[in-house]
Amino acid sequence: MSDQENQTSRFARDMAANAEKMFKATQLIANTRDEDVAIGTTPKHLVMRRDKVELFHYEPMAEATAKTPVLLAYGLIGRYTMADLQPDRSLVRSLLSKGLDLWLIDWGRPGRTERWLSIDDYVDDYIDAAVDRIAQETGHDKITLLGICEGGVFTTCYAAQHPEKVKNLVITITPIDFHADVNDKAAHHGFLNIWTRSLDPEDIDKLVDTYGVLPGEFMSSVFSMMTPMRSLTKYNVDLIDVVDDEAKFMNFLRMEKWLADRPHHPGEAAKQWLKDLYQENRLVDGSFELSGRRVDLKSITAPVLNVFALDDHIIPPDCSRALGAKIGSTDYTEIPLPGGHVGLFVSSKSQGKLSQSIADWLVARDANPGSEA
Amino acid sequence: MSEKDKSAAADSDPGLEWAKLWQTMAESSNRMVEAWSGSMAPFMLARLSEKPGGFGDGNEVSAAIERMAQGPRLADVWDIDRKMALAFGAWIEMRQRVASYNAVAAAPWPEASKRFIETMSATGSDGAPPPDWREAFAKWSEISNEELIRNQRTDGFLQAQKELLQAGLKLRRCQDDVAEAASAMLGLPTRKDFDDVTRQLTELRREVRTLTRKMRDQKSEGAR
Repeated sequence: MSDQENQTSRFARDMAANAEKMFKATQLIANTRDEDVAIGTTPKHLVMRRDKVELFHYEPMAEATAKTPVLLAYGLIGRYTMADLQPDRSLVRSLLSKGLDLWLIDWGRPGRTERWLSIDDYVDDYIDAAVDRIAQETGHDKITLLGICEGGVFTTCYAAQHPEKVKNLVITITPIDFHADVNDKAAHHGFLNIWTRSLDPEDIDKLVDTYGVLPGEFMSSVFSMMTPMRSLTKYNVDLIDVVDDEAKFMNFLRMEKWLADRPHHPGEAAKQWLKDLYQENRLVDGSFELSGRRVDLKSITAPVLNVFALDDHIIPPDCSRALGAKIGSTDYTEIPLPGGHVGLFVSSKSQGKLSQSIADWLVARDANPGSEA
Repeated sequence: MSEKDKSAAADSDPGLEWAKLWQTMAESSNRMVEAWSGSMAPFMLARLSEKPGGFGDGNEVSAAIERMAQGPRLADVWDIDRKMALAFGAWIEMRQRVASYNAVAAAPWPEASKRFIETMSATGSDGAPPPDWREAFAKWSEISNEELIRNQRTDGFLQAQKELLQAGLKLRRCQDDVAEAASAMLGLPTRKDFDDVTRQLTELRREVRTLTRKMRDQKSEGAR
């Protein structure tokens, strides 16, 4: 057989095999029930409910290494389950196994009822109530805040507004300077910043006023645009790649489940997020206000750990790095890690690095009473 | 190798087959756009000369409907018809924005195809075996991703997308107006009523919580 014939027959054989795999994938998906794809399964119990917001306490998994309780706060875009996707890819489980006392604030699934909630409510009411409750339950005057993405902005604002209640501040993949994307030369970084700035403020008002929320589906479509070919190929080529490996196939489904579980963003809070922060960059220029008070980042006196992903296409690294120069604390640590926005939490390569960095940093500060501001 | 042989080799190369397929699709798509532009060109030029804002301002039908619907309100009984006419006009405008957006969003594909063909043509030149479908696809995906992302960051793309969003919101608001009018006719609470109630509830809750905190603080100060 000639080379040409070999190539043609190889191509035909590959295509036939792919068609077979697609058929297999379709069958597998049809036979997998929603409850078979479990995410956010690390054991925890409900401590407090306030409107739709719930405070949970995770069951300890190891002897305590840092006694100060740690409150985990995710943002309102997506859900906390990204930090607890599956047992072997779980920041939550990993921190628990390193002896941290971990608490979680879950924003639930906001809808039109939450239209009028603002970031003021999330920071000065929900987080504050959770902090008070943890203090009451544990006897600690101050607690550690661990914010992820938008949750990092909330916890940063809280640390500035209520420094007397914060022992340490840990933020991960968190935007602080929303215009620092202009310094990032990577073409695939920062589209969200550019896209938001391309809108008129009135467009954002109309979007929120029309739907009462920033619709979760809408934000999903914006995120899909940021990785265009990945979005076009994930349900065909990606499936072909994982269909013969049950573990990989289930990882794929768990990720899909997290992506699909994108709640609506409360309306007034969305206006602040997109206009005050993304468009007007008020957090870094010191003009962002919550509950009638200016958020002064210089008021942050607690030790700060800032972890970001070097290939984060959603929050370019420079947007996160900006915090160091703005805070009042002299104990500031930056840890840039390889990986992307979500990969930092869920990829097999990054497992262990993130949690180890956070745990080591917290244990060192817990053992050092002098670090308490 | 003669030109004929080269051509035969290219015909059986899966990478080049793939490229040809995409190129054909892209060319068809371009021809469609050209045909559409050609047929609409006189109309578009006339519209552009009439309105400095250009064709993007909206089309004749939706503008006419809007003018009619926004005319004097003679009697409330016709209000819902007026709202439905506005919703129809907004729908037409939305379709136009979708078409404009699709044209802008499709623009990178021909360049991606061109780059891919060039890359694939160069791969066999050093005597290495031609790439299998997976390697070819990975290259296609990488090139397309670059071109799509480059396009997304252009002013033209961002403007088309903004106008699409604006048209979509206008349509949705018109539809909401119809639904609100129908609800009012049936004596049902409207979404505006719901928003008013939730606003009052949120504000009331804030007041209660502020008072609760003040009382708690006063109590703890008194205890000291």
